[in-house]
Amino acid sequence: MIHIQIDGRSMEAKEGTTILSLAGRLHIPIPTLCFHESLSPFGACRLCTVEVKRGKKWELTTSCDTAIGPEMVIRTDSPAIRKSRKMAAELLYFKYPGTKLIRDTAEKLGVRVKKSQENSRDCILCGMCVRTCREVVEVNALRFEDRGPDHPGEPPRIGYIGDSCICCGACAFACPTGYIRMEPYGDENRRVIWDRVFEMAACRICGRRFAPLAQLEYLSRKAGLPLAQFMTCISCREAESQTRMVDEKDWISCHA
Amino acid sequence: MKKPHPIAKVNQPGTPIPASGTFPVFSTWDGRLIDRRDGRSRPDRGTCPDRFKDLPFRGLMAWNGIVLREEDTDIPSLTYAYLREARKISCGECSVCMIGIDRVMEIFRRFMDGKGTRQDLKEIAEIAHEVTVNGKCNFGRSAALVPVADAVKWFRSSFLALIRGEKRLFNHGYESAVTAPCIEACPAGLPVTAYIEKIKNFQFQESLALIRSKCILPGVIGRACTHPCESACVRRKVDETVAIRLLKRAVADQDLKEGCTPLPLPKVKKKEKICIVGAGPAGLAAAYHLRLMGYAVTIFDSLPVMGGMAAVGIPDYRLPKDVLLHETGLIRRMGVEVLLNRRIEHLKWDEWKKRGFKAFFLSIGAHRGADIGLAGENDIVEGFEQGIDFLREIQKGHSGIKSAHKVFILGGGNVAIDCARSCLRLGCNRVEILYRRSRAEMPAMPEEIEAALKEGVKIRYLTAPLRVICKWGRIEGLECIKVRLGAPDAGGRRKPIPVEGTNFILKADRVIAAVGQEIDMSFLTEKDKKLLFQGGKIFVDPVSCRTNKEGVFAGGDCVTGPATLIEALDMGNRAARSIDAYFQGKGFDEMRIFEGIDTASQRGGVFFPERRVAGEPSLEGRGRLDDFAEIERGFTQAEAMEEARRCLRCYRLMVWEVEKSRQETTQGRGK
Repeated sequence: MIHIQIDGRSMEAKEGTTILSLAGRLHIPIPTLCFHESLSPFGACRLCTVEVKRGKKWELTTSCDTAIGPEMVIRTDSPAIRKSRKMAAELLYFKYPGTKLIRDTAEKLGVRVKKSQENSRDCILCGMCVRTCREVVEVNALRFEDRGPDHPGEPPRIGYIGDSCICCGACAFACPTGYIRMEPYGDENRRVIWDRVFEMAACRICGRRFAPLAQLEYLSRKAGLPLAQFMTCISCREAESQTRMVDEKDWISCHA
Repeated sequence: MKKPHPIAKVNQPGTPIPASGTFPVFSTWDGRLIDRRDGRSRPDRGTCPDRFKDLPFRGLMAWNGIVLREEDTDIPSLTYAYLREARKISCGECSVCMIGIDRVMEIFRRFMDGKGTRQDLKEIAEIAHEVTVNGKCNFGRSAALVPVADAVKWFRSSFLALIRGEKRLFNHGYESAVTAPCIEACPAGLPVTAYIEKIKNFQFQESLALIRSKCILPGVIGRACTHPCESACVRRKVDETVAIRLLKRAVADQDLKEGCTPLPLPKVKKKEKICIVGAGPAGLAAAYHLRLMGYAVTIFDSLPVMGGMAAVGIPDYRLPKDVLLHETGLIRRMGVEVLLNRRIEHLKWDEWKKRGFKAFFLSIGAHRGADIGLAGENDIVEGFEQGIDFLREIQKGHSGIKSAHKVFILGGGNVAIDCARSCLRLGCNRVEILYRRSRAEMPAMPEEIEAALKEGVKIRYLTAPLRVICKWGRIEGLECIKVRLGAPDAGGRRKPIPVEGTNFILKADRVIAAVGQEIDMSFLTEKDKKLLFQGGKIFVDPVSCRTNKEGVFAGGDCVTGPATLIEALDMGNRAARSIDAYFQGKGFDEMRIFEGIDTASQRGGVFFPERRVAGEPSLEGRGRLDDFAEIERGFTQAEAMEEARRCLRCYRLMVWEVEKSRQETTQGRGK
């Protein structure tokens, strides 16, 4: 436990916690766009800025990836913080005026926003999908296309590696703007995410298309078990497990 | 002693010139103003790098400010050119930097359409301020819009003229250059920031290709480099330096795990044959690049293995030889002819030319231990040897060290430390280093000294050997004297002065001298020696690596004296390009734009959240001294990606308007 000061309040806190999570516990509102508690902090949206005192100066920093240190003095509201958050929101609004999430966030932070019903679902490069894929699914099918002196002209974007993707849809679930979508491709037998079409596997008992084949293959590889064991849908598996209890010999023969 | 070589790139802030005479007319370098426009003479407090006097520019905009040679430079157009370049480098990962640049460019376009207002200038300044304090990476904070804010502040009238429609934006002919402190610190100029970014983005193969373009032995350098890049890392001001060397190693290791990508094969075939003498880092780098250009390359080496000093000068616990074997093998497989165990006794140019060699690259290294100048040094038969010979013998498998031996090592460089730690691993635990200066002056890498002490090596400072005592041709002991440090000598190190009457005798079974290396030039005729050598080293043009003899180039330790692997690689890389230029009958000149400019300095503080690595990845505890197993574990892929995220991306950008006279010549060439 270390001693810190936040918004004038002196308190003890666990070393290593980020300012954002501490503020959350204290019910201090801090706006965020790219933060998710299950993912590593990324510091992309620059909305969660707070000020930390260094010497006599207040320095701006992002609260999501700044860990508290001993005797840290923090404030979460000041004219400079409000100005900085507003500017970041204003720039986001300038770039993605059609995205509802951005309009709402910007409006909350004091940016003058034109009323509109439109939602163009832009990719705002928050990196949520990349981190979900890497840290939760552990697949690495998404990445930031790197930029630098050798990459003239190309706009920044998220790169998709179709060969690694297992079509789990976690990125689409995590995407805050709805840019990533997972949809049926024609019929229920196939599904499309990013720009790759995936075959849906049919349950070997009831024949229902229940999961992308690539995902089952990935699970089978990861668990080191034959693919056949994963080819049963959840409802059939339940029914099956009951029979299994009745006769174990039968269970062995059925998976041979 | 290792002296800084004149060729080694020194990234020191050039002596700053106070504003005097007519240059510069205006400067905001480092945030300090020099303003002599309209003959105004304000009290000048600013300085700007001396280097800018030599660069052919009219006006220049860089991460650290604006510098003008000529007053009538079109600032709004220069600013727009700067923004265009900055946008290429901005990564877009945060919401302020790239969008900020986009927004400012949009405002510029509004000016062009005649829709601009004074309010827009205020907005530019505000955006610039926000990006500078709130950008995610150090490019955003230190470069993206810093000089743009200067431009708006000090050239308000030009911008107002633009708003009123009295001026327009023109392309006056701009050039740009990008670097980073780590890139500048690297002797070979590896694109550090770029390859780290690729690691971060899970593109290990692409990262490897980038590294290989400048460093053909990534696994070797990733283990044994002296990493000047890490000393220059801006992250040091926040917490700890980014482990650049280990990241490079992680890329090389990952490639090995995934089944090794071969080196690219030459796309064309050229008829010229090139002879390379010495298969060390310099020779291999030159061979790789020349082969890639399509030349036929033959390497000769007297050793039975490729790698030169990397093979016989660095012990296995620092650099396992299978890594070296793999990486040198790849070069061989490109079609480079490698003739090992071929010692060239007498170099007869005519004979070699008859064999079809059109150019020569000498990279023979410095493999002969320097004499220490002790009384009785040359009489010894047994028990006294050179450190570099000792390390070579270990590689061959016979060191002659017995566990009961008391070993003294003379010298304070990396070779001395390597010898001492090797002795420990050979079972001998009474190892002592004698060094005539103090710890602060020791030229060995600090982490190596630390490790040696931890392993049980004793170091006796301020002790100078005087005489070796021997009996029946075998070493018996050393007579030493205590010394104190006097005034610094010409090289800047304090000179040891013997203290009278403090002589003492140390009993020794083995004495290993590691006080420096020399170049063996016995293979040359007297005439050639006179022509090629100067002060015991081969003399070359520092840029083109040309020697005084037509068609003969040289690089590596034989030019610089004992130096680092990465410096040797750099000379090899450069020599290859220079040899290519020689065959095409062209001159060779590579300007290092940022040389003499302090790329580490930046305006505004570096306040980034701390983020440390998970701990020292090394072989610890017992068992470490039992054999020559590699000490460092290296990063796993996930750890490397995590570490790469610590990089601050300190890209430094410079855009300048080319001088009128040069512009005309480039236009004359049809550009």
